[in-house]
Amino acid sequence: MISPLDLARVLEEEGYLIDEEAATTLFLALALEKPCLIEGPAGVGKTQLALALARAEKRKLIRLQCYEGLDLSKALYDWNYAKQLLRLQLAKTENWDKIKVDLFSKEFLLSRPLLESILSPEPVLLLIDELDKSDEEFESFLLELLAEFQVTIPELGTISAKTKPVVILTSNNTRDFSDALRRRCIHIYLTYPSLEREITILRSQAPELSERLTQDVCGFVARVRKLPLQKLPSVSETLDFARALKALQKVELNYGELMGTLSVLLKYPKDIAKLEERLRKWETEAQHRF
Amino acid sequence: MDGWKFIGLVHALRQVSVSISSQDILDVQTCLARFPDLAEKQIIKSIFIHRPQDTEIFEAVWGILLEYPESSLQEYSEDGTINSVLEEAQDSSGTGGQGLGHGTGGVSLTVKGNILEASQVSNLIPFARLEELTSSGVEFEDVVKTILSEMDYYTWINAYDLADQRGELSEETWYEHQDSRAFLVREIRQRLLTVQVGNENSWEPLVRQHWLLKSLSTLTDREKELVKSSIRKWARKLAMRPGSRWKNSRRGTIDISRIVQQSVQWGGLIFHLNYRQRIPRASELVVLCDVSNSMAAFVEFLIYLVTCLRARFRKIRVFFFIDSVWDVSEFVCDDDLSGVKQEIKSWGDKVSSGFSDYGAVFRELAENRLREVSTRATLVILGDGKNNYRPPQTEYLAQISEKVRNVFWLNPLEVQEWNERDNMMKEYRNYCSKVYRCRSASDLQRIVQDVF
Repeated sequence: MISPLDLARVLEEEGYLIDEEAATTLFLALALEKPCLIEGPAGVGKTQLALALARAEKRKLIRLQCYEGLDLSKALYDWNYAKQLLRLQLAKTENWDKIKVDLFSKEFLLSRPLLESILSPEPVLLLIDELDKSDEEFESFLLELLAEFQVTIPELGTISAKTKPVVILTSNNTRDFSDALRRRCIHIYLTYPSLEREITILRSQAPELSERLTQDVCGFVARVRKLPLQKLPSVSETLDFARALKALQKVELNYGELMGTLSVLLKYPKDIAKLEERLRKWETEAQHRF
Repeated sequence: MDGWKFIGLVHALRQVSVSISSQDILDVQTCLARFPDLAEKQIIKSIFIHRPQDTEIFEAVWGILLEYPESSLQEYSEDGTINSVLEEAQDSSGTGGQGLGHGTGGVSLTVKGNILEASQVSNLIPFARLEELTSSGVEFEDVVKTILSEMDYYTWINAYDLADQRGELSEETWYEHQDSRAFLVREIRQRLLTVQVGNENSWEPLVRQHWLLKSLSTLTDREKELVKSSIRKWARKLAMRPGSRWKNSRRGTIDISRIVQQSVQWGGLIFHLNYRQRIPRASELVVLCDVSNSMAAFVEFLIYLVTCLRARFRKIRVFFFIDSVWDVSEFVCDDDLSGVKQEIKSWGDKVSSGFSDYGAVFRELAENRLREVSTRATLVILGDGKNNYRPPQTEYLAQISEKVRNVFWLNPLEVQEWNERDNMMKEYRNYCSKVYRCRSASDLQRIVQDVF
């Protein structure tokens, strides 16, 4: 890829539409071989961007899903205790000095996603998803990996990447990261797509929808996103909502006929109640207009 | 890009707390050289900005250094000829229509009527007047207000508010109008900053406008969101910090059942020690907030903080007061805070006057509510201490202070204002465990670390 436009084009071929600014930033991250930290509200397509990039770059995807309590034994490596025990039982008569070195060799090492991405001989894309859910200790551990593409295992020493992986980190912004981590990454902030972009997304992801329904649904969702709701509808929820209307044989969106379908779009009862109230206003407005 | 300008930009960004490392500079230079076809601003922004909240300050600095060169300011200065041309071209068919501009620039928003185009906005701002007000030493926020008022901004937005209330505006028009409002105010602030930075020949005015340091009562909507998002993050961090009761055994107590569960994986031969989840450290938090007009902006943030921290306490009670007390604890568990905001606004039904009376409030609290409060409770008072020359009745605060474990007072006024004649802070502070200035997000951050 020689330009951001080129990157945007290959991503589009993989079904992901990216705006120019984000494409430029991602392009620079790839050019500088730096990890890319993608932040933004849930459902704006952070993970999808990483998946599309892996396909576009023909890299093997290795995904680490973060959660509270995630530690090195789940993210980086662990020793195969059962195998070590077996080895010990079989080697009662052997030389102990030899065995104790042997016990902590690569044969007894269980690679977890981070180590797997470092050891992989083929190009990989490492997706560290929802990093904000992990603990701060884990974030500190990642610094070595992000800066040097290497990890240190006390018993084995430092292991460097065979092929530099593309690293994408995503965050829903529930907690802040340290300056040290941010400094090592190129930062992209994704927001909800514009009306035009969302129409294009729906056209490509759900070609079975009529043009009228696609435009109506996107216009409606754009209005809903301006309301003060606890959780705004994501792109995938827009898609689900449009498909739900299609399943109900709707060819266009009428405010009066949406009751009962809103739970596809919104996930909190309070939000649904707010929208239902607003729908009545919009319906009256629409009637006045015609 | 001109090397001096680049150095100037890096210096300015570092001055306004954007962290830029030598590696970042190297990366930018590499990219500028490798990709001459890409926009310089985009390259620099992509590599220098590591936090979403720094974007705005980057735009401000970029604007001052590279987009509003001094010559463009002079273009509009003094005679106001450009403004008069604008006035002739104005369309008076909009929602407003009442009144004409009376400011120096002579541009009235009310006769503009329709939604403002972004391109028009910069031409509407009276730069000469901005310079004049800044040179005469008027405070930043006051300059903004004066300029807005001279542009008939308040009449203009009022006309729209009324039209909206009457149902004359479609929702789209209303949203467009809101965007125009925000854009206009942002543009005025940006131009004012440019003038101030030029006058003071330093980046200090920009530092003062950093959202962490600004008064909570003058934050824009976007800045309010930033503060709230920071509060959420502080609260989350706090939830993971060991409370005082666990400090002797930092990792909590051993959880036998989890150890057994895990050791089964290795046939019971190897096991890791597991510890129980920590429990909230404080038994009760009592919050007492003055919700008179001058305090409303601060109350909203404190309550938001308390909402985020509710899991950390076994019990939270929140009282609002002006000259009497009412309980609003039920609204604090609600995440969207609409109930609390309504309560802040609706004090008119609950008090006899709009003037704070701390003495009466402490008396009511001590006589009627204190018996229900635990001796292990922490009391947080948010108030400016202005008692409107009423008796301070400090004996009741002393009584409260004896009953609870800690009393923390958060005051949004500057420390020197605590000694003004009608301010009782000098007397009340003797009965508090600690008194804090709570004026900006950075004050709030310090309080979060100290108090909770």
